Amino acid sequence: MAVNILIVDDSGVMRSMIKKSMQMSGLQIGEIYQAANGREGMDALDQHWIDLVITDINMPVMTGEEMIGQMHERPDLKTIPTIVVSTEGSQTRIERLKTKGLKFIHKPFSPEKIRDTVKDVLGSEVFNEPNA
Amino acid sequence: MNPMLSRKLVEVTADTLEKLAFIFTFPSEDAPAVEGQDQEVVRVDFSGPFGGGLELSLPSSARGELAVNMLGAEDGEELSPEQQRDALKELINVVCGNLLPVLAGHTEEFNLRPPYMVSDESAVWDDPAAVGYLMLENGACRVRMRLDGSPDQFLPGLEPTGGPLSS
Repeated sequence: MAVNILIVDDSGVMRSMIKKSMQMSGLQIGEIYQAANGREGMDALDQHWIDLVITDINMPVMTGEEMIGQMHERPDLKTIPTIVVSTEGSQTRIERLKTKGLKFIHKPFSPEKIRDTVKDVLGSEVFNEPNA
Repeated sequence: MNPMLSRKLVEVTADTLEKLAFIFTFPSEDAPAVEGQDQEVVRVDFSGPFGGGLELSLPSSARGELAVNMLGAEDGEELSPEQQRDALKELINVVCGNLLPVLAGHTEEFNLRPPYMVSDESAVWDDPAAVGYLMLENGACRVRMRLDGSPDQFLPGLEPTGGPLSS
C-alpha cells in the first residue's frame, strides 16, 4: 500500500525537509501534497485521498490547531492519522493535542524521529523491507 | 540588558544552528563589528504571557550555506534567494520556539507570528532586553530579543539559581 501524505507548513524549506525525510525513511509513498496553512490543508483534504497529515501549528490564515479542530468535526477526516511537527514548547498545548490522538515531533527533528513516529502511527507494513 | 537572558539567547541559537543546519558556532563575549557589514536580518514576534520579538542577523555569505544544509542540497546546487530567505525565517522560528519555554517554563503557551525579513521600514529596536553574539566560520551572528516591558517584570526566574532559566 502506498501512502498519500499531506504536509502543512508555512515554510517551504521545512516542507522540503519533511518531504526529504519521508522519502529517505523507506515509507511506501504514493503522492505528497503540500499546503502553506491550515486553510490550504483543508482544501487539499477535500480534493485528495490523504492517508497521513503532517502539520505545523503556528501558521498564518489558519493555524494547525484550528485545522485539526475542523478535521475532528468531519467524520470523513477525523480518523486520518496526524502528526504535529512544531517548535511548540508548551506541554499544556502538546498534551491538549495528544488527547486528540495526535503524535508530536519537536523541531529541530532528525529523519529517524520522523521515520519512527510514522512507523508508530501507520505500522511497519507500509515501509520497505530494509528500513522496516 | 540582562546578562542571563543574553546567555540563554546565545545557547539556544547555537544549539538550533547546530541541530537544524549543521552550522557550528562559538559564543563571543565582545560585540563583533557587524554594523556596516552585509548582513541578512530576520525577525519573529510572539505573544503570550509576555510579548516581544527575536531578531537574528547573519552574514549574507552564510545564508546560502544555511539553506543548503537545511535542505540537504547537493554540492554545487544553487538555491533561490527565496529559499535562502525562507531558511532564515525557519531558523528564527525554531530558535524562538525553543527559547520561550526555556525562559517561561514548559506550561506557558505562546503564539509565534510569521517571521519577516527586516527592511528600512521595519521598526528600530533601540533598547533590546538581550543581545548575544556568535562567531561563524564566515562572520559574526548577532541575536537580539525585545520584550514588551522589562524582563525582570515578566521573568522573575532570571536569577541564576532560580526559576525556569536554571533548568
